[in-house]
Amino acid sequence: MEHNKLPGASLPRLYLISSGQENPDNGILLEQLTLLPHTLCCMVQIREKQLNAKQLLTLALKARGCALPDGSMLLVNERVDIALAARLDGVHLPESGCYPDKLRPIAPNMIFGCSVHSPESLHIAEKSGADYLLFGPVFDTPSKRKYGAPQGLEKLGQICQSTTLPVFALGGITPENGALCMAEGAYGIAGLSIFQDTSQFVDTLEQFYRIVSP
Amino acid sequence: MIPSSPFLCVITDESLCPVTIAELALKGGAAMIQLRHKSASGSQLFSWAVEIRNQCQKYRALFIINDRVDIAMASKADGVHLGQQDMPATAARKLLGKERIIGVSASSLEEALQAEKEGANYIGFGHIYPTFSKEKGFPPLGTEALQKTAAFISLPIIAIGGVSLENTATLISCGATGVAVISAVSRADDPSMAASELVAALNRNHS
Repeated sequence: MEHNKLPGASLPRLYLISSGQENPDNGILLEQLTLLPHTLCCMVQIREKQLNAKQLLTLALKARGCALPDGSMLLVNERVDIALAARLDGVHLPESGCYPDKLRPIAPNMIFGCSVHSPESLHIAEKSGADYLLFGPVFDTPSKRKYGAPQGLEKLGQICQSTTLPVFALGGITPENGALCMAEGAYGIAGLSIFQDTSQFVDTLEQFYRIVSP
Repeated sequence: MIPSSPFLCVITDESLCPVTIAELALKGGAAMIQLRHKSASGSQLFSWAVEIRNQCQKYRALFIINDRVDIAMASKADGVHLGQQDMPATAARKLLGKERIIGVSASSLEEALQAEKEGANYIGFGHIYPTFSKEKGFPPLGTEALQKTAAFISLPIIAIGGVSLENTATLISCGATGVAVISAVSRADDPSMAASELVAALNRNHS
């Protein structure tokens, strides 16, 4: 089954996740999007579980209205309907989300990514036709402490070795430790908190970009 | 097609497995099932949706999913039900096409008119009477509001909120085409019996 029309190599290697504190009228996502240097393409996931569908659609339409660097991809967490209505590029599915193969018929041209936290969920994501994977938390990060210890570099390496899909490493990743993730076979790096300081945003992105560029 | 004679819509809640509620409601004669479960994961919701869709086909009843237009599309449900906080009906219509049903919750004539303008196929109007099924930020609308709305709206209206055996006659005579219940079926000792009694009361009114 051909599930990945876009070869993994065409996905951007930097992956920005929204703060989880956005609302359609106020937040930093739109500011971040307008700050993106035009040479620096990114995956951007709108992940705002606190918003209702109406607010999320408004935010997604505003984000879609921003001119993004060529090759960038704008995704939303979970909601394929919002992605379709706002003409986004894809959907990111949490581990408990509906599987990509159930959703692809209604959105055949979209990218579907899956969060994986174990070899078992990797297997399910692969079998159901994910286009990329998000694995974490690799390092300690305040937002994920309640779920226990981070997964660590070794497990990241095991996941990367056992799949041909692009794996983005997530969780506590900095310009200092990012290279370690790439050395374990990660395709790219994803971040949320580290991009929150909009005064450092472009600097941080550029530092990451140097690490992930092959 | 939305039934033209008085009918019962049963909305699932989190008291029992939605598939169980749907099965019992259909046995009791419900003509429409709405899957509503705000805390379920996407994969859980999808698998329930597929099961309930199959049950509904067996009973020739309509299957509607609350809020999640994507799950409705993927599971081939008959339609969606959208609250005022959900995706606007116009956006949902573009995704669903002409054939699929879109219901919209309204709690005023203005909201109902807006929903009609946006291409809804039915209005869920309420809550008419006091209810504990959902947290409400406003007092019950009463039957006068229903009557007024029915006079201005040509779409079928499904009355919701505090529906019971005692008031179905009033609701239908005030212009509702159908009634929707949550806890009156899902939390009844015998949900199937509760549904069939409501259906019988609706049919009595009709004849």
